[in-house]
Amino acid sequence: MTTQQFDLMVVGGGPGGYVAAIRAAQLGFKTALVEKQHLGGVCLNWGCIPTKALLRGADIAHTLKEAEHFGFTVDNLSFDIKKLVQHSRSVASKLSQGVAYLMQKNGITVIDGTASLADKCLLDVEQDGKVTQFKATHIILATGARARNLPSIEIDGDRVWGAREAMAPTALPSKLLVIGAGAIGVEFASLYNDLGSDVTLVEAEQRITPAEDADISALAEKAFVQRGIKILTNSIVQSLDSSGADTVALISGPNGEQHLEFDQVILAVGITGNIENLGLESLKVETEKGFLQADGFGKTNLAGLYAIGDVAGPPWLAHKASHEAVICVEKIAGVDAVKPLNKDQVPGCTYCRPQIASVGLTEAQAKAAGHSIRIGRFNLNANGKALAINEAEGLVKTVFDEQSGELLGAHMIGPEVTEQIQGFGIAQQLEATEHELAQSIFAHPTVSESMHESVLDSLGIALHQ
Amino acid sequence: MTNEIKPINMPKWGMEMSEGDINAWYFAVGDQVNAGDDLVDIETSKIINTVTATDSGILRAILGATGETHAVGALLGVIASAETSDADIQAFINSNSSAAAEPEAVTEAAAPVSAAVETAPAPATIPQAASGLSKLAEGEDDSLVAASPVARRLAAEYGVNLNNITGTGRHDRVSKWDLEAAVVAAGGQLIGNNRSASSAVHYGDDSNVKATPVARRIATQLGINLLECRVSGDRGRVCKADVEAVAALKNKIPAQTDSNTTVSSNTVASQPISGMRKTIAARLQASKQTAPHFRVHIDAEIDALLAVRKQINSSNTDAKVSVNDFIVKACASALIKVPALNVQFDGEQLSYFSNADISVAVAIDDGLITPIVSDANHKGLVEISNTTRDLATRAKLGRLKPEEFQGGSFCISNLGMYGIKQFDAIINPPQGAILAVGAGEQRPVVKDGELAVATVMSLTLSSDHRIIDGAVAAQFMSVLKGYLEQPATMLG
Repeated sequence: MTTQQFDLMVVGGGPGGYVAAIRAAQLGFKTALVEKQHLGGVCLNWGCIPTKALLRGADIAHTLKEAEHFGFTVDNLSFDIKKLVQHSRSVASKLSQGVAYLMQKNGITVIDGTASLADKCLLDVEQDGKVTQFKATHIILATGARARNLPSIEIDGDRVWGAREAMAPTALPSKLLVIGAGAIGVEFASLYNDLGSDVTLVEAEQRITPAEDADISALAEKAFVQRGIKILTNSIVQSLDSSGADTVALISGPNGEQHLEFDQVILAVGITGNIENLGLESLKVETEKGFLQADGFGKTNLAGLYAIGDVAGPPWLAHKASHEAVICVEKIAGVDAVKPLNKDQVPGCTYCRPQIASVGLTEAQAKAAGHSIRIGRFNLNANGKALAINEAEGLVKTVFDEQSGELLGAHMIGPEVTEQIQGFGIAQQLEATEHELAQSIFAHPTVSESMHESVLDSLGIALHQ
Repeated sequence: MTNEIKPINMPKWGMEMSEGDINAWYFAVGDQVNAGDDLVDIETSKIINTVTATDSGILRAILGATGETHAVGALLGVIASAETSDADIQAFINSNSSAAAEPEAVTEAAAPVSAAVETAPAPATIPQAASGLSKLAEGEDDSLVAASPVARRLAAEYGVNLNNITGTGRHDRVSKWDLEAAVVAAGGQLIGNNRSASSAVHYGDDSNVKATPVARRIATQLGINLLECRVSGDRGRVCKADVEAVAALKNKIPAQTDSNTTVSSNTVASQPISGMRKTIAARLQASKQTAPHFRVHIDAEIDALLAVRKQINSSNTDAKVSVNDFIVKACASALIKVPALNVQFDGEQLSYFSNADISVAVAIDDGLITPIVSDANHKGLVEISNTTRDLATRAKLGRLKPEEFQGGSFCISNLGMYGIKQFDAIINPPQGAILAVGAGEQRPVVKDGELAVATVMSLTLSSDHRIIDGAVAAQFMSVLKGYLEQPATMLG
């Protein structure tokens, strides 16, 4: 049998891989996609989407708790976590089927199996012990990433969950330890706290959501503490002892060491790229700290090999992967005016309560980069709509370059800010200055009026504070 | 009201495009069509592309049925409101297309219509050209003028130099409002207003063709209708290179008409041949008829070449050099050494080249195309390899720019990957010669009276005997064999 040949093959069916395949097919490439498990990748199956389905449950729990404030009395409340997980899983499966449909619609050959590079432009795909070889002029690796373990603490799927296990609980933990207060950690802390668990959040850095602007972290921490989440920053979980009925964690922090008991632990200390068993070593493909090295268009040091998405390094976000997929394929196809990824224009969203969303540089990063800056701040407790929906906890912070007026960064915490950050993203892409943003008319009453006020504040002319 | 009747015309995508085949309609007569909808797929000699609706309305008539061939500019269909009477539609069709009465008589209709393109190019299509706007166009480079992105884009559309606009935005930045006010003050018409008021587009009007501002201005200056131009710019726009390609073609190459080609129906399932196939057929037939081909054949042992290839590929991660890349490099070196073969001949004039621009035949769906590795004599093997891979990728996608496949002083056709031992190729005019490359395979060879095994590749050169003598071809092949058998000598 002759080797089947494609113009372009993609390894991995997540939001990087399947988007790359679709764009390639649109441009006329004879395209194949290799996926070893589920189309849609972590994002659709075990990440973004199923967690949002669970967090919707947390929102409802929260709404029910505050129903009394709006005059409702709710009796005989009961909660079955299995049904919530069932909802989450059904959404994931529906979307995965949607991706299969998109592959079919675009004439993409989907190959089930585990791929590895046999040589330049040569892929071995193994399924059920049988290896088939494929030739492709261009191979895009979009194999994603997985939760990282600590040297002393490993995810075992039982006492210690990774994000994946935390997404499909069979019972609600009563005392939960979340290790790591990045986006994933705070989302699970927020979720389980709303559902009724007693949550402790431990972070090695000096504040939670350390990648966000310090003002945002401070507000998030205040809101979490108010909700009863225990936060230990500058703290490290030294060890876990699971020999007893409960897991005993040894936590060291500014006030010395303490032993705390939990019935469940979630480890969320970052992720590591899926670069193993891809045949990278023998072909001398460059990797660094567990991730593939690629240029702004995804090109690696190996002829005909590209890397996009999580496996190509941070930020580890689905929309960054999809964007890289498009520019990588368009660059290969010679589409005019393709620009490399600008990481300062990749928005980040964290779906805790209150939500966090940001794009661009934090105040500290802007200063460190040598910008002379102008800051705008607006608190949601002066926003009518936020007060009306009883979610007036929040802040919109804008960072402008003093000279050029460029929007260097925008940082938001509050209700549905993840839907609002796009406005700042578009402004950045259009190179709008604070002047254009100030001139724009924002509709009333909306939470996003605060975006406008924050810009006005940067000019010293905020109207409502 | 006739001004609500909008025609759908055969577009002009390639500079050699004089006609197109109707591949498929997305709508049937009577369907509601919205501006921007895909209307009909047209196949040309180079590409299949989709015509989108520029107006909304009911598709009232289809005059170009699927499978038919129509000349550029021919009326293919009519969009109008439901209220427009059939009589008005018919009157519009009669006044807009002589082919309408008998859509089958395609090839007859083609000649007068395309002749109209040649004799009556580009009426003054930009309404602004006649107005006082030309004064606003003057001035130095305005790229440093502070202007909003929208204002800058509009300025390009109007052909306005931003140095002439007084900005009233913050820090005197030019806003969209400033620009439009200046255009109106200069007697110009706002584009948006003009668009909504435009009446039915008659044949030859290119004001609705999407084009870059520079392309539109050059086209106006040179009297080129944008419908004549290939569309290779981003977002489906005619770009500067497209207009210049037409200009070059008009000045140098007489317009070609091959509309008399008839289609054989002597097959069970007959179908019109594709535009690309038609071009291939015409060119190769002309080559075979006008250029007396003669062939010289040589075998080259490539074991040393394969060893060098392995070394390069294993030592350099960013190299995936193929045997064909070596052949390109060897041919380039040989062409420099035997310049008499690095030649084009148009029937009257000989053009000798100082660099080797080598066309590499790439098989694509339903045909082939020959992208050019230019200056191959100055490129290293890895660069040739990466260039060829990029060209082949884009050739298959139909994304080559005209200059990337037109020209070249020598051609290589390699069928080795199919296990072909040896074949003859037909010269790609106006080039003087083409090399046909067979598979490298282990064969018994006699060395110093001993039987041995070597990897041998058969090479056949077809040359145009009008301009290339047998001894020159033989000398080239001997030099080429030397480079292939001792690749290190190419470095010198």
